Amino acid sequence: MDYIDPHIHMVSRTTDDYETLARMGCVAMSEPAFWAGFDRGSVESFRDYFRQLTQFEPKRAAQFGIQHYTWLCINAKEAENVSLSREVIAMIPEFLNESNVLGIGEIGLNKNTKNESTIFLEHVDLAVRYNQQILIHTPHLEDKFQGTKMIVDMLVHDTRVDRSRVLVDHVEEHTIQEVLDQGFWAGMTLYPVTKCTPARAADMIERFGPERLMANSAGDWGPSKPTAIPDLIMELKRRGHSRELIRRVVYENPCKFFSQSKNFKAPLGSS
Amino acid sequence: MSNDPKPASRSAQKVLSEEFFLSRSKILDLAATLDRLDRAEGSVDELQQRQLLIQGIEILLDKNPDKAKRVQLLMSRPYDPDWRKNYGLH
Repeated sequence: MDYIDPHIHMVSRTTDDYETLARMGCVAMSEPAFWAGFDRGSVESFRDYFRQLTQFEPKRAAQFGIQHYTWLCINAKEAENVSLSREVIAMIPEFLNESNVLGIGEIGLNKNTKNESTIFLEHVDLAVRYNQQILIHTPHLEDKFQGTKMIVDMLVHDTRVDRSRVLVDHVEEHTIQEVLDQGFWAGMTLYPVTKCTPARAADMIERFGPERLMANSAGDWGPSKPTAIPDLIMELKRRGHSRELIRRVVYENPCKFFSQSKNFKAPLGSS
Repeated sequence: MSNDPKPASRSAQKVLSEEFFLSRSKILDLAATLDRLDRAEGSVDELQQRQLLIQGIEILLDKNPDKAKRVQLLMSRPYDPDWRKNYGLH
């Protein structure tokens, strides 16, 4: 079955992974800007990173027939450096007209600090001023519940934000309800230790239905599995769910959400 | 397609039979971890992490629903609705 991975960090994956993903049915992906495994020292590091995301990775993906899209920001971990964050935010508009940019992301919180919150709000303002969609990172483990509620609070507080153009990622059992109830899209991240397993994601699909719900692999520097979405497809098939339901979650929903960006073109001839 | 939450597509008996061995394995992993703690030098009985594990196990054993959500909340920092005021953000 063709599918779209709406959140995968391909800069941390090999070209072999692109080939494997293509063989598994991945026809498109979106790659949010994130932490490099170390804190970057200058705005020029981010400029080079954004060139990688907008110029190099799309070509690497295209070798295997995969459409590559991206989101730009300075991530929450590095947002503790407020002055650098503001330099990066000021530079981002240079790249917003690149053909694979879908919006601003993954912005969010990490340890739920004041500086992270300040930079989150400034990213949201940037997105609104440039009419961009938003992709959101919610914190991990014990910080997730608190951080997700803080993020939702900031978003609903800003009446300019169109909630149907915001994807809140890494939802789990204790955060999914509020995200969906507030009218946002929700993403379940399938990750071996933290975040969510395919079985628990299937449980959430059964409990909350497929409306505004997606799944992704994250596929980053950590012990993640870039082919996690096919694992979810297998789990849903094993439980007897219809092809229609599965396709809605792994293909149609990402298409519908991304189509709100002028740069997204639905993959042709997908099955 | 309707967005009604999908009812469980399998009977309880089918879920149990399909997931018994995986669940058995996870219980054994947890039991072995607790044994390992018992064999190790020193005591962690007073540490919060140990207490959270025990409280999590108690949730698994009670008769109430939403066990996964309740375990998640047990392991979460609380939310303060006045956080913006405390941070001086408006």
